[in-house]
Amino acid sequence: MEELAQPILNGILLGGLYAIVAIGMSTMFGIVKLVNLAHGDLMILASFLCLSFMTWLGVSPLLSLFVVVPIMYFVGFFVQGYLINRVLGKEMEPPLLVAFGISIILQNLLLLIFTPDARTLETSLAIKTIPIADFLNIPVIYLIDFLLGLGSISALYFFFQRTYMGRAIRAASDDETAAQLMGVNTRNIYAKAMGIAMMTAAMAGVLIGMTFTFYPHTGPQYLIIAFGVVVIGGLGSMKGALAGGLILAIAQLLGAHFFGPGFQLFCGYVVLLVVLALRPQGIFGTI
Amino acid sequence: MGGTLQKTRWYILGLLVLVLSTVPLWGTEYVLLFCLLFCLYLAFSQMWNLLTGYSGLLALGQQSFIGISGYTVAVMCNYYAVNAWLAVLLGGIISVLLALFMSLFIFRMRGVYFGIGTWIFAETLMLWFSNWEYTKYGVGLFIKPPTPPSMTELYYAAFIVGVGSVVLVYLILRSKLGLGLMAMRDDDAVSETMGVEVFRSKLYCFLVAAFVTGIAAGVIYHFQVFIQPYRAFAIDWTVKLVFIVIIGGIGTIEGPILGAFIYILLSQTLSEYISLSMLILGVIAIIVILTAPKGIMGSLQEKMGFEILSPRRR
Amino acid sequence: MSDDLALQVENLDVHYKDFQALWNVSLEVKRGEIVSIIGANGAGKSTLLNTISGLMVPTQGHITFFGKDIFGLSAHKNLAGGLSLVPEGRRVFSRLTVYENLVMGSYTPRARSGRDEALDRLYNLFPILKARSDQMADTLSGGEQQMLAIARALMSDPKMVLCDEVSLGLAPAVIKDIYKRLNQINDEGLTIVLVEQDIQRSLKAARHAYVMLEGKVVLEGDPSSLTEEEVKKAYFGI
Repeated sequence: MEELAQPILNGILLGGLYAIVAIGMSTMFGIVKLVNLAHGDLMILASFLCLSFMTWLGVSPLLSLFVVVPIMYFVGFFVQGYLINRVLGKEMEPPLLVAFGISIILQNLLLLIFTPDARTLETSLAIKTIPIADFLNIPVIYLIDFLLGLGSISALYFFFQRTYMGRAIRAASDDETAAQLMGVNTRNIYAKAMGIAMMTAAMAGVLIGMTFTFYPHTGPQYLIIAFGVVVIGGLGSMKGALAGGLILAIAQLLGAHFFGPGFQLFCGYVVLLVVLALRPQGIFGTI
Repeated sequence: MGGTLQKTRWYILGLLVLVLSTVPLWGTEYVLLFCLLFCLYLAFSQMWNLLTGYSGLLALGQQSFIGISGYTVAVMCNYYAVNAWLAVLLGGIISVLLALFMSLFIFRMRGVYFGIGTWIFAETLMLWFSNWEYTKYGVGLFIKPPTPPSMTELYYAAFIVGVGSVVLVYLILRSKLGLGLMAMRDDDAVSETMGVEVFRSKLYCFLVAAFVTGIAAGVIYHFQVFIQPYRAFAIDWTVKLVFIVIIGGIGTIEGPILGAFIYILLSQTLSEYISLSMLILGVIAIIVILTAPKGIMGSLQEKMGFEILSPRRR
Repeated sequence: MSDDLALQVENLDVHYKDFQALWNVSLEVKRGEIVSIIGANGAGKSTLLNTISGLMVPTQGHITFFGKDIFGLSAHKNLAGGLSLVPEGRRVFSRLTVYENLVMGSYTPRARSGRDEALDRLYNLFPILKARSDQMADTLSGGEQQMLAIARALMSDPKMVLCDEVSLGLAPAVIKDIYKRLNQINDEGLTIVLVEQDIQRSLKAARHAYVMLEGKVVLEGDPSSLTEEEVKKAYFGI
């Protein structure tokens, strides 16, 4: 029993990270009813941006967040405002395929610029641990992921509940026409919402980069994780993202514990497929 | 105007088929290769188009069938000395069985959930095969049938599959099933009330697409002679099919023909620079979706009001 | 163009793709008036309101609002200019609370500074909304939702409000209540355009009326001088 404690603890902490990986995609899915297939790649773009700034300016990854996050806002605003908004309409395929196209362009662009080498965002925090008991350690980097992830999601929640822009986004996703009648420029609001989603993706990308190695093609892997969180936890809600993240991460780590590290992703996928088949709207979802 | 225009189009198509059927007689090695790949990618993309363009099933996981068929061929030929072409047939059959299994999970879902569900299946298969001793883990297998097919045999197999796929799609769309599909494409709920069995129709298309994709995959792997999980089950396959169909024209039968040609041309010309070619493909695809969302053939059809291979009844 | 005209519509044509919905429609609304537009289902009333408010783009014609040309101007810009629409079917934000719905009404920068006063005013006008302010909008009854929709449209302190079938599906007592309040705000100076299927009620409230049939204006005048016969004929097209 004691030996399960570490994977479960790691799972809880990692779950916070998974939640922030997913929240940007989940929010946009709730707003424009589209899955951003390029979400994972945009996160990895943020990881590479962070890598670049670390190399040029010699700063730590967390510090370079101050630059990466605003840049990603504009990336998101541009992608939604100038590309996806143009094809928003009755058919579901065009926006999905635009996102797909962006995904491929990003992956290959990053490949050409940065080569296929494995990368990490070097930080001394990555190897530190805090021992709690002789069978239990808290990996510091996981803890930071969890705290920053939780913090970001809380900030996002506050934004959507208390600010005019946040409410306008919720209103527009509820009834686009009625929102326009309230004076909301809905196309513009969608672009801003995407910008904000990309800010969370930036945070996620940097945290991922600090915690794991990444490559130009790592994006889709995290898209699937984000999707898993949404399927398990339910769409568009903060607590759904947290619940989904926790369950997915714990399932993955327990799977690795029992069957071996090669099965970590596999177990996650299986859980995802089972939930998809049995309760597609997730725990807190209401489709 | 319609009459003679139609006739000319049929002549062009007929000519194309004639030319393709005789390539081994007059073509250089490069041309033979080109046409072989063209036929096979044509088959893949016709099936993708059948699913996403006509049936409204966002297919992001066709690579599941490509991979599993390829591995079936490899295993049958290597371990059981099965005849090369029989193995291909088995590949198709295994693909259908996989499709049936997949449908249990994903056919409850719509739209993007369905799409990502198919993608995840492919990723799961990739992980499985990478960790499976029987298929030599991630190292991959060389495919060694008892009598390896000649280039000419391979070519004609590809030709049959390619042309066959177009004919098959045409026939499906002209059938009662096809009428139902086109009604469904416009409005799921309405057509359900009209007695069209939405579920059955979609499942049927899904199975057919899996079979043809499996067969084409079997042929392509006899050609490539080597299979590896990371490439066999990679999302890259879907990426290529998406681009072929988008650029050519989604929801048209002629679209994939044009799209496959453009894709093979691009990938062969830039074969040294894979990333660059994918990048260019991505940019072209986005430009096409933004400016001419119906693709080249689709926009032409709209402007000129014709369809070469029209599934519509006149 | 006289100074006291809140709204002037001239020769308006509106198409849905190939289908022409409005034919050469003209009307005038004087400042501070209540004008009613009546007609059967499909007469084009909602199309007219949607076009004026900017949700739809007309094919040709003129629309002038307090002297300003607003032809083709989008809905969110019109709201900023003081033109508000209570849409058909209420369309409250079901996943927001009553309070949040109202606050959305003061979204435009111009309205934000006056938000708290506007909220007070509207809570006074519609006390039931104050009682339910923390409830989700979709838990309200039909009549309450209608009041919410109207209150929301008034939060931005508009110069003119267009009401699309506010009595639809509501009990007579509730309708009476709503009209009472509409009259109240009209007394305070707000220009109102009422679109209704219910002939009696809206004619009673209005200073000037238009009857529409199949996308055209077929009768107009002061309701007190129009006979019931005339109106019925125009309404049904006999």
